[in-house]
Amino acid sequence: MSHQVPITCKDTTWLVSDARERELTSEEKAALTAHIEHCELCQGASKQFEVLFRQLGMFLGKSGSP
Amino acid sequence: MNHSDTSNIVDEIATLRDALFHLALLQLRNKSEAEDATQEAILAALESHTGFEHRSSLKTWLISILRFKVLDIIRAKKRLLPVSNMAKLEEELDVTVFDSLFEENGCWSAPKDAWSDPHSHVEQVQFFKILEACLTNLSPTASRAFLMREWLELSPDETCAQIGVSSGNLRVILYRARMQLRHCLDLKWDRNA
Ligand SMILES: [Zn+2]
Repeated sequence: MSHQVPITCKDTTWLVSDARERELTSEEKAALTAHIEHCELCQGASKQFEVLFRQLGMFLGKSGSP
Repeated sequence: MNHSDTSNIVDEIATLRDALFHLALLQLRNKSEAEDATQEAILAALESHTGFEHRSSLKTWLISILRFKVLDIIRAKKRLLPVSNMAKLEEELDVTVFDSLFEENGCWSAPKDAWSDPHSHVEQVQFFKILEACLTNLSPTASRAFLMREWLELSPDETCAQIGVSSGNLRVILYRARMQLRHCLDLKWDRNA
């Protein structure tokens, strides 16, 4: 039986950052998904991080510019 | 784009010199080292540009050459010993940004604007300018550590050794750098234009 500890918005930002250094555990991934699913603020923030990391990749020459 | 004309490509390499220097400076945070890395990258590019196969843009190709020159400079330097002094580290980190971001219960204190990727070349040039300004605003330690991971792709362990911090401190430095970048872009980028 899976027992999931709810996490805060602040916790999600730590996980989003850590995920750039290491593979998150399946518990962490589940907690992250569950929180973002129900939190509009974190949906906005994770979209922002997505854009940031994608554009950073282009800025650093890792993927082609459009 | 057609880069087949040799004088064209030499001109284009010259126009990208500033962009290369700025990137090297963000990583190295030392002007003379950044000059050296840029100079060596440009010379290497001029020597081998006939081998440039247009599979990527010229800028991407130059950045990949610069990356190796920057890595050479970093790896030739003596590594710092790990610093266990967290007080010194705190000085380097801009803590003020974080005070207002979250409520005490860990919730974001303000709604987040919906970002979208730049829609045009002009918008992207603008985005990159702001991104560069935001990277420049990071402390030298944060900027070096962040780009070692995101650009040079050093392992977390090697990054710790180069910066001279423990892995716990590195985690904090990188977290704050990413949070600061998001915050800075949120303030400066008018993406709903
Ligand atoms: Zn949230």
